[in-house]
Order: sequence, then structure tokens, then C-alpha cells
Amino acid sequence: MQSEFNILGISATGLSAQRLRIEIISTNIANSETTRTERGEPYRRKVPVFQELVRNIGGRPENGGVIVKRIYEDPSEFRIVYDPTHPDADENGYVRLPNVNIVREMVDMINAQRAYEANAMAINTTKAMITAALQIGR
Amino acid sequence: MFNSNFDTLKTALDVQLKRQELHAQNIANAETPGYKRKYIAFEEYLQESQMKLKLSTTHEKHLPPATRVVTAKQVTQKSTSITNDKNNVDIDMEITEMVKDALRYQTLARLMSANIDRYNTVIRNVR
Repeated sequence: MQSEFNILGISATGLSAQRLRIEIISTNIANSETTRTERGEPYRRKVPVFQELVRNIGGRPENGGVIVKRIYEDPSEFRIVYDPTHPDADENGYVRLPNVNIVREMVDMINAQRAYEANAMAINTTKAMITAALQIGR
Repeated sequence: MFNSNFDTLKTALDVQLKRQELHAQNIANAETPGYKRKYIAFEEYLQESQMKLKLSTTHEKHLPPATRVVTAKQVTQKSTSITNDKNNVDIDMEITEMVKDALRYQTLARLMSANIDRYNTVIRNVR
């Protein structure tokens, strides 16, 4: 039947998904003022897209946790700021800045941290259960 | 030779483990858009099966009812969501339930040990 180690695996996918999310948020914050990228436009905010993972083992669906399906680039408008002294300003003196909103990133980061902690807690609880099972008959 | 306590406890332990799996799955997907929480309706099934399958033995040669195997069925809760991404995992509730289930698991494990201890006592003391 189901195994204890599958449960640990599920929580591990949750941990790595949230860690990747924090990584992406860090990148967004680090690049919140980046006006030049390789594509010649300001940096675009990145968002991970999560999806539930259900493995098919011998024709039976088995819970597999979560995966990051892809990293999506937010297509929303760039921020436009008037700064004629900026080297990337256009002829009217306006600079296009990344569509990163720091406040939003911070909120997302706290969310990701909480979700990470919840997954870590699930691992600890599973561990306590396995330990209890090992004590049977002692 | 062994009574059905072992079977009952084993089933209960298995179900708690399956529950833990679903808690882990729900928590891992707490931020997945459109995900709906999964759970096991075990007590409901147990109650139902106990009410339905009460066989009475009216004759001394009637066999007692066989041990029922209660299978845990995974259910998806499709109801409302608290966030606007159609995800209905309530992480606080999920964690509380998880802790409760873990304690239940530990209690069941201890009961199993106590059961084994009784047999040990019998085996050691009778000669």
C-alpha cells in the first residue's frame, strides 16, 4: 500500500517548490530597477506556476505533491517614470522601469515562507509517526 | 488465535497514514491555483458500516460475522474557496488536523504495543 516515504517525498516537493518561489521573488526584488536586459527592454517580473502532481503507478493515481509547471513572465505594463538624466530615458525624458512592485513581492515572500514552514512541519509530523510505528512491540 | 484487535488497529494505523499523505499533499498544494483539498471520510464509513452490518447470532452454530475491512476512500472537497484562485486549502485547519491525526496514530501504535504485551505476558508466564 502507501508508504511513509512517499509522504516525505510529497512534503519535499512542497519545500522545493516554495524555495524556488523565494528564489524567483529574490530575482524580482534584485532586478526591480533593471532597465536593460538581453532583450533590450526592462526586466519583466517572473511568477512560478504551480500544479498538483499525481503520479500514475500501475494504473493507480498516487499523490505526488506539487511541481512548478513553468515560470511565467508577467505581461503587465512597465512603470514609466520621468527622469531625463537617466541614460535609458526616451526622447521625452521618460524611463521604462520593470513591472515589479516591491510591496507585492514582499507579501508573496512572506506567503512562500509560511508555506515552506508548513511543509517542514508536515515532514516533522510524519517523522514522529514513523518513530511511533517503530516503537510497536518494543 | 490472535483476536481481531490486531486487524482493527492495523486498518486504523493504515488509514491514519493515508490521511497524513493527504495532509502533506494539501499543504504542498496550498498555493496551487484551482487545487481542491483531499481528505478521508473514515469515521463516517466506519459508523455507516457498523450500523449496517450488525448480524445477530440466533443459533449456537451461527458463525460470528467476519472481520470487516473498512477501506479508506479518498474524497475531494469541491466546495467553496477562501482565496480567489479557487484553492480551498485552509492551511491552519490542515495543520491542526495533521497534528491531531499524528497524535491519534501514536495512540494507536501504543495500543498495538499493549496488545502485543498481553500476549507476551501469557507466553512467558505459562509453562
